[in-house]
Amino acid sequence: MDFELTDDQATIRDAVRDLAGKFDDQYWMEHDRDKEFPTEFYDALASGGWLGITTPEEYGGHGFGITEASILIEEVAKSGGGMNAASSIHLSIFGMHPVIKHGSEELKQRTLPRIVDGSLHVCFGVTEPGAGLDTTRITTFAKREGDHYRINGRKVWISKAMESEKVLLLTRTQKVDEVAKKTDGMTLFLTDLDRSKIDIRPIPKMGRNAVTSNELFIDDLIVPVEDRVGEEGQGFKYILDGLNPERMLVAAEALGIGRVALDRAVTYGNQREVFGRQIGMNQGIQFPLADSLAHLDAAELILRKATWLYDQGKPCGREANTAKYLCAEAGFQAADRALQTHGGMGYSEEYNVARYFREARLMRIAPLSQEMVLNYLGSHVLGLPRSY
Amino acid sequence: MRWELSAEQADFRSVLADWLTEVCAPETLRSWLDAGDHGAFEERFAADGWFGVGSPEDLGGEGGGLVELALAAEELGRRGAPSSAWLGSMLALPALARDAEAAKTLLADGMTTVLAVPSGAAPNGRHALAGDGGLRGAISTVLAATRARRFVVPVEDGTLQLVEAGQDAVRVHGRELTDRTRTVGDVEFDGVHGTTIPGDAAEVLEQAALRAAVLVSADALGVMERMLDETVEYAGQRRQFGVPIGSFQAVKHAAAEMLVKVESARSIVYLAAASVEAGLDDAPLHAAAAKAQVCGAAAVAADTALTLHGAIGYTWEHDLQIFYKRAKLDAQLFGSVAEWNERLAARLELLPGMSQG
Repeated sequence: MDFELTDDQATIRDAVRDLAGKFDDQYWMEHDRDKEFPTEFYDALASGGWLGITTPEEYGGHGFGITEASILIEEVAKSGGGMNAASSIHLSIFGMHPVIKHGSEELKQRTLPRIVDGSLHVCFGVTEPGAGLDTTRITTFAKREGDHYRINGRKVWISKAMESEKVLLLTRTQKVDEVAKKTDGMTLFLTDLDRSKIDIRPIPKMGRNAVTSNELFIDDLIVPVEDRVGEEGQGFKYILDGLNPERMLVAAEALGIGRVALDRAVTYGNQREVFGRQIGMNQGIQFPLADSLAHLDAAELILRKATWLYDQGKPCGREANTAKYLCAEAGFQAADRALQTHGGMGYSEEYNVARYFREARLMRIAPLSQEMVLNYLGSHVLGLPRSY
Repeated sequence: MRWELSAEQADFRSVLADWLTEVCAPETLRSWLDAGDHGAFEERFAADGWFGVGSPEDLGGEGGGLVELALAAEELGRRGAPSSAWLGSMLALPALARDAEAAKTLLADGMTTVLAVPSGAAPNGRHALAGDGGLRGAISTVLAATRARRFVVPVEDGTLQLVEAGQDAVRVHGRELTDRTRTVGDVEFDGVHGTTIPGDAAEVLEQAALRAAVLVSADALGVMERMLDETVEYAGQRRQFGVPIGSFQAVKHAAAEMLVKVESARSIVYLAAASVEAGLDDAPLHAAAAKAQVCGAAAVAADTALTLHGAIGYTWEHDLQIFYKRAKLDAQLFGSVAEWNERLAARLELLPGMSQG
């Protein structure tokens, strides 16, 4: 067993830490408050070549694995940028995986280099109001008409849609009652978010306000056949391939928030004096922070194992799910305790931990709830009957 | 709303507490437990008239009701007293109330009469015996079975029968409990004939279940209070790093959490006792909340108390083990936390089919 990062990985960590560190608390506080996309941050990462970290070299990327991608995104979150920073680049880092694996050469040539140079913003259009995590119940329908498809339907919780040029859009090309297996008859597209056919409405929400979360109303969107990813009817399988990497990236983001929150709590615990001494001397403050350190460290280990397995081409469902579960839990606990350590100041925006708290809470819900992770572990790993 | 103990109830509690201080001192209790003999305590308890308190005078009791019984259970729990025979009898009372002579024999003469149901679940009719040609069958883990002179036995035809122990056709096998302050045993009936108790058995058993919930949670409350007292005393006296360990915040906060549980337990236990006694519509909710919440909290408090005592609490010499085990048994006695939470859930307007199991 070897717990050392490779030279490349250590270089990535240090360089991203350095670059993301240039964007201070003030920057993130303002962008979150003003609901403004962090363009300068995004551009800095793009011009540094970081958005192409996992894109194959033939399309201008670096061809690194999920381990490197997770180290990158963890550092981004940990810089204090939190989920605002992570979500601004999340899809570029690994979201194009279904396209890379299953898309036509033409589609890849047309889109991937632009992902790498940052000029193409994409979002992920899967979830729908009537389906939730029961993905096969989606009803957004793509009807083939000669050399194009006509798409109608509704999507919800589509991150960054307002800021995106294209959407990776999951549809049905056959209704669920017309197919033998309910996972059949679903088709994936990478296509333009044509504003004349798609009404995009941001959802007012609790945190991560520099990047929108949206509802999409799709009305007669015309999509050329060339924008289809892979074969018709295979879309569900294509997105399934990307779920474990997504869980690992989200885990890394939660871990990063937990780290920065804990760091701020420790700083405050050392500085702030009440009753004539540093508040960090109180066991009621020190123990929860030490406990969070232990939990973050443990969560990090399972995340590293999960990404290592994936990069080795080995099965990693158990580890990827466990990493998401433990990192989200440890990250939220750390943020909650950081807020508590700051007392009243924690509740003010000035100390930033309130922002981490709001964002860390999201990680126990998205991209799938902790309870759904337990469902996976209970039935797929332990072999208990499916409970839902 | 203002609710407090009446002067008579407060007096009763303090007189019983004094009596227990004298009769059930820690060394004496240990000698009974080591000898495996609960008889000395039970006989003295009955002889001094405590059996009648909390039961109506027209049944031969001393008056009062479930609040008085809850106070008694709390005090008995606080002392770790061997109270199985009393508890088993108090659960049989709703049945005996329909048979004045049998009630009088129990309450006035102290003839232990227990409800023959398994003690691991809320009393119900699921273990009723076949009744044709005499009662036949076995009932496991009946509380105080080895101490009982009479059993109230649920029968499959929906009745209850009063059966004398001490005859050949009634065989009792005692079982060892980890909690040595209580006893259970398996009872086998082999074609025995009892006296039918008039009335609806299901209704009586449900009353017994609610009483069990109140009295076991009251017991757990007393046990929890005792563990808190012991813990606070120990934390003030034991020194580490040159200071009493009670000066460490982590210790203080853990003890304060126990106090919070004790206070909330007290609120629900007395409310549940008064509510069941008055037969309020919400009485089943109150009883279930008490049983699940208080017994669950006491089981957790036992672990906190043990943690704060360190290794000394893990030894046989220290009394904490007695209360630790009693709290853990209370969490299972007459229904687990989960079982009583299920009862609560079943009375709420949740999705059909989800809470009924």
